[in-house]
Amino acid sequence: MLLAALMSPAAAQELVDWSIDEVRAIERHGPWPPPLVRDPSNRVSGMPAAIALGEHLFNDPRLSANGRMSCATCHQAGRNWSDGRAKGFGTVDLDRRTPSLWNVGYAHWFGWDGAGDSLWAQTIRPILDRREMAGSAAQVGRLLRDDKDLACGYERAFGSKAGVDDEHLLVDAVKALAAFQATLVSPRTRFDAFRDALVAGDRAATARYPLSEQRGLKLFIGTGNCDTCHFGPRFTNGEFGDVGIAFFVRPGEVDSGRLGGLAKLANSPFNLLGRYNDDASGASAARTRHVQRLHANFGEFRVPSLRQVGRAAAYMHDGSLATLEEVVRHYSEVSLDRLHSDGTPLVRPLGLTPQQRTDLVAFLRSLDADPPPRLAPPSLCP
Amino acid sequence: MRFLAALFIFLFANAASADCPLDLGRGTGWVVFSDHYMIAFRPEPIRIEVGQPFSLLFNVCTKSNSPAELLAVDAVMPEHKHPMNYRPTIVAGADGRYRADGLVFHMPGRWELSIDVRAGEESERLTHDFILK
Ligand code: HEC
Ligand code: HEC
Ligand SMILES: [Cu+2]
Repeated sequence: MLLAALMSPAAAQELVDWSIDEVRAIERHGPWPPPLVRDPSNRVSGMPAAIALGEHLFNDPRLSANGRMSCATCHQAGRNWSDGRAKGFGTVDLDRRTPSLWNVGYAHWFGWDGAGDSLWAQTIRPILDRREMAGSAAQVGRLLRDDKDLACGYERAFGSKAGVDDEHLLVDAVKALAAFQATLVSPRTRFDAFRDALVAGDRAATARYPLSEQRGLKLFIGTGNCDTCHFGPRFTNGEFGDVGIAFFVRPGEVDSGRLGGLAKLANSPFNLLGRYNDDASGASAARTRHVQRLHANFGEFRVPSLRQVGRAAAYMHDGSLATLEEVVRHYSEVSLDRLHSDGTPLVRPLGLTPQQRTDLVAFLRSLDADPPPRLAPPSLCP
Repeated sequence: MRFLAALFIFLFANAASADCPLDLGRGTGWVVFSDHYMIAFRPEPIRIEVGQPFSLLFNVCTKSNSPAELLAVDAVMPEHKHPMNYRPTIVAGADGRYRADGLVFHMPGRWELSIDVRAGEESERLTHDFILK
């Protein structure tokens, strides 16, 4: 760190030049934050009473079988809405890393394998999964009917008293949970200030973005080819890819990624083609209706957002890379044999110099800022 | 950068017959043609965005101005050699009018759209390139 600081003054004189195409590519990574989106498949999306109920449920361990595990056990505000571990841990060790929930309201496929097609449907999984909260619709239904505060919060959010149909109440609970999660928007970063200044042609302001980060950004949108997948304001196109991470979970057992996710999606009674989608127009189900299974889906995982990426405890779906330096080294040295592509490979060994690797990591770290402190949620029905 | 649909404005004076109008409304879109076919189409919504579902509205005609049949619509990225992750479905209207729903271009770059059409026995594939940024 000290060494880098001593070496930078000489470099501070150079300027990074940006072509018109590069400025346009950078512009596509903003503006930030985007307007909040309302999820048409969730009738309480964006509604304050549902958001409040959702936040209470998020922190409530009574959704779990043993009464000790809540969403916040694994998605902790102070740990970047994740758990600080390489792989999740519920009642047993899990095979995948707990993703951060920042900006999850802007996504359209959920989970590393995209098995969920809405934020609310994705939220059912941890409640019912025996390896996680191991709860049940009956347990959720009882809680919403019998707990005075939650029953009152339910009535405010949904406009009627909690009924007797447990599955219906489970779906309403996850819709409130989804309304809350969609409010988790990550803060503006150094990169965003640079991006806005560059688009506005404000040279004095662009000069405040350190040169190493600028060079890293140039690599990211240029020879690194990173923004073909890490596209747009969230730095993900929301789809799936294979970047050469091993898909063996244990010897002889593989995580098939997107391929398995599509099978789970098709079998779920809670997908957007089912009866719990509140969107009468059907438009919100377009992706679910048209998605097709491809050979290449085997071993593909969702392209993660890179906002707040410097805060993760580990990287990739299986937490197999410990640091951003390791991630960049992976992209620099990845083996082409492992990646079967007949076309121009999207991911290929970049052979980066140590300086280039430092620059790329510096850029990735500039996609990060301290979030404002969170206040405890107000009580549901004071 | 957003992809603006209004790239080509074609003035086909002799093709503007009532059976097979090439203007799909709004005066924007594309026309592709071969020896036998003339196809006008435009996206809906009018801007195609990376990763966002869109539809294509078609008017499929033979060169002699009679309606033709749209068999299939698909797209690939020729450089990356991969298809779309979604399979479009086609809804037929009257007089060679069609609508293809459920297309998604999930990466920036070049996408090659293929349009399979038929009139009588002869079927043919016409293509059109999009550059998404
Ligand atoms: C035992 C730890 C654990 C608990 C408890 C837990 N999660 Fe998760 N969460 C995970 C893991 C691991 C994944 C990744 C799952 C996968 O990809 O298969 C995940 C994925 C998610 C995702 C998908 C995020 C994305 O980017 O696609 C959402 C949303 C989510 N959890 C919300 C919740 C909510 C809401 C609760 C409470 C009802 C909850 N989680 C409880 C570990 C947990
Ligand atoms: C083919 C699409 C694609 C390209 C190109 C690509 N990535 Fe990724 N990236 C992914 C996918 C998919 C993952 C998750 C892989 C997994 O979990 O197995 C990922 C994971 C990551 C992660 C870890 C994030 C996390 O939360 O675990 C970082 C950081 C990253 N990529 C940066 C880059 C950089 C820098 C480049 C350019 C050198 C790049 N990516 C190029 C698709 C891509
Ligand atoms: Cu591609």
